[in-house]
Amino acid sequence: MTLNYIVFAASALLFGGSAVVALAWAMRKGQLENFQRGATSIFDADEPIGRVTDSFPGQKPKPAGGATKRS
Amino acid sequence: MNHAATIFVGVMLTFASAWLGLVFLPYVQLGNIEPAAIEGSTDAYPKPLGGLAARGRGVYIAGGCVYCHTQQIRPEGFGADIERGWGPRRTVARDYMYDRPHLMGTNRTGPDLANIGARQPSSKWHHLHLYNPRITSPGSVMPSFRYLYEKRKITGERSRLALELPEEWKPESGYEIVPTDEALALVAYLQALDHTTPLKEAETP
Amino acid sequence: MSDTRREKSSSPASPAPRGGKAIGRASDRGGSVERPIDPERAARRRFRVDESTRVPVLTFFTGGAFWLLAGSILALLASIKLHTPEFLDGASWLTFGRVRPAHLNTMIYGWASPTGIGVILWLTARLAKAELRFPRLLVAAAVVWNVAVLWGTIGILRGEGTSIEWIEFPPYVPPLLVLAFSIVALSVATTFHDRGEAHVYVSQWYIFGAIFWFPWLYTVVELLMVYRPMAGSPQASVNWWFAHNVLGLWLTPIGLATIYYLIPKVLGRPVHSYYLSIVGFWSLALFYNWAGAHHLIGGPVPAWLVTVSIVASMMMLIPVGTVAINHHFTMVGRFAILKYSPTLRFIVFGAMSYTAVSVQGSFQSLRDWNEVTHFTHYTIAHAHLGVYSFFTMTMFGALYYIMPRLTRWEWASARLIRVHFWGTAGGMAIYWIGLTWGGVLQGAAMNDPKVPFLDIVKMMIPYLWSRSLAGVLMTTGHVAFAALFTMNMLHLGKRRYEPTLLDDPREYARLIASPPAWEETPAS
Ligand code: HEM
Ligand code: HEM
Repeated sequence: MTLNYIVFAASALLFGGSAVVALAWAMRKGQLENFQRGATSIFDADEPIGRVTDSFPGQKPKPAGGATKRS
Repeated sequence: MNHAATIFVGVMLTFASAWLGLVFLPYVQLGNIEPAAIEGSTDAYPKPLGGLAARGRGVYIAGGCVYCHTQQIRPEGFGADIERGWGPRRTVARDYMYDRPHLMGTNRTGPDLANIGARQPSSKWHHLHLYNPRITSPGSVMPSFRYLYEKRKITGERSRLALELPEEWKPESGYEIVPTDEALALVAYLQALDHTTPLKEAETP
Repeated sequence: MSDTRREKSSSPASPAPRGGKAIGRASDRGGSVERPIDPERAARRRFRVDESTRVPVLTFFTGGAFWLLAGSILALLASIKLHTPEFLDGASWLTFGRVRPAHLNTMIYGWASPTGIGVILWLTARLAKAELRFPRLLVAAAVVWNVAVLWGTIGILRGEGTSIEWIEFPPYVPPLLVLAFSIVALSVATTFHDRGEAHVYVSQWYIFGAIFWFPWLYTVVELLMVYRPMAGSPQASVNWWFAHNVLGLWLTPIGLATIYYLIPKVLGRPVHSYYLSIVGFWSLALFYNWAGAHHLIGGPVPAWLVTVSIVASMMMLIPVGTVAINHHFTMVGRFAILKYSPTLRFIVFGAMSYTAVSVQGSFQSLRDWNEVTHFTHYTIAHAHLGVYSFFTMTMFGALYYIMPRLTRWEWASARLIRVHFWGTAGGMAIYWIGLTWGGVLQGAAMNDPKVPFLDIVKMMIPYLWSRSLAGVLMTTGHVAFAALFTMNMLHLGKRRYEPTLLDDPREYARLIASPPAWEETPAS
């Protein structure tokens, strides 16, 4: 019985609380600003936006020079 | 961000309330139901299952009957559960107060069983049906539960419990089919499934 | 690529990086997207990040592929038994009532979840641009997880299942799953902490949601239903709170995280409206939780609860709409690529199914609709449109993208990929059409008290056969996939230096070499 009530209360706090913490964190860190830049954050410098990149990952870029275009 | 505090409290409440609403409130509202007194008698409804039937519930669970059979009667005007004769009234929370786990089910590949004990009280019928559903219900797709029955060589008297099978289902002569303890328990459970007692909160149409 | 390198890369003992190092730690102030200017450094970093995930992620995938096959066999058994009950009857452990929960649990906890976990791990490292933490512990977690699923499945077949839908594993299994999962959560959190990318991409939000929600849902439902069971109808409400949320707050976020990453990534085009994607995330988190009781319409639970759930189900059209709009407009002008890219074809199939299943779901939770379809095969069709057409297909797409980057080996055969796609997609279409149609007829007949019940049973036989046919097609697809998977893991087949495409590579090269032709098309 009491255990059940503990589960209920703890869950409510945990669930609601985590949402608040997450949202507060996101706002403080400016995650909810400048959306367009956010959207491009998944592209690396060697992945020109506007180009299809689903191709064979190629080889390990050699330590010196000649990074592969693909990946 | 002046309203940050308000927003946060709002978010907190929205999230926590979903959980509390779906899990906590039903628990409070329905978790402490008492059996109802039956009019004109000292009995109360519902009663916990007796020993054999309780074991039979375990067999029902182990066999996974719940995947094809519900145990819930929807209210009048919503589906045709009552018109089909599956029960005289809808089932309500009180009917399930002793159920652990609940076996309400979600699928009616087979008919509802909430009142099978009242609809089909004959243990003979149940044993034939469980041994092979096609004996009693031609065209049924229910699996046979032969593994709950034993084929035994008849030594001396025929067993009192042996199934009276129709000709084409009989084992070779000199043998008989007898239910195991599990089959007996399962049938006791099925016979105990009866939610026909009238309740104030569920009108009988 | 020299042979030594290949050997190294395929050996599971290749140095798993100790504790992820941040590679180019981001400045603390979020939003300032730090990109290494040097393309070469960026590529090398991505390579290292992928490397760090290889062993754990492939271990999770291998378990998943195994359970996909096992679950398919159980599915076929269950499906055939529903129209031909004599098929392999007699043995207790092969009875429908055990094979069916064994199917559900192997597919959900054996195939869908571990594959999803693998994708989560890889995505987290990719998005954080940091090496994955605790790779060795994660391998142990994968082993524990798979042993638990095996143990639980045997338990169900032996008759020790709980008969509580979606958590049938016997009580000795859940602690193992929770243990394994906590390692996954730990790794995701620490890898995220090490991140070299300040912005938290929408996929990461979904991943955090999934990682946080799943253990909570799972431990609470086990506690309240198995270890310290409450009695009676509140159980039903907890049961469906869980079963509904495990779809909406576990599988769905994984699927969407994958889609939100891979469509833009493959196309090289940022998601159409990033703002909408964030709105979608938060509204999913808000509404989904409330919707669970729509599984209990007409059941012995408080009426207000069901009503609230129906309202929440309709509200779900908002997050679903944002996702649908976003994915569609990201794809617009690029649909031609579906002809070539296996990843994109599976993923877009999954994304479209997400919209379909959700819209279907919202409407079937309306009372008038549910009155007919509840308790029928229609629900099974909806279930597979969700867990199969959306989630499973999305995972296939993700594997087509991720695997070669981890094994450093291209897919061996375009023909097998085509068999995989058409088997699963075609099978799924038959599955859904057959059972949706059959289910509506079944429900209508069931609500007409004049039709004897056994007549309904007989009427359903052809539709159930259509599902078995679908199952054979889908299983064929799975076998093709398993063959590809094995060849990829073992570096079998011809060494390829070009992507394995589903259609003429030269046309494809022409298509993508002239971006303007399709870059400047509508809506961008
Ligand atoms: C807005 C989104 C959705 C809504 C409103 C919704 C609604 C529903 C409803 C009302 C049912 C119960 C049907 C009945 O028993 O009569 C149901 C069942 C189900 N749904 Fe959905 N659905 C949605 C999305 C999804 C998604 C995305 C998935 C899969 C990833 C999914 C998978 C399932 C499954 C597996 C079941 C069957 C559960 C069972 O009986 O075991 N649904 N859905
Ligand atoms: C080879 C393809 C598949 C076939 C032929 C198949 C067949 C079946 C069958 C026969 C049932 C039982 C239906 C009933 O009780 O009436 C079922 C239920 C189910 N299957 Fe599958 N299945 C397949 C693939 C999958 C996959 C890949 C998943 C998950 C990722 C899955 C998840 C489920 C779920 C969640 C249920 C329970 C649905 C409910 O309760 O409403 N299935 N499936």
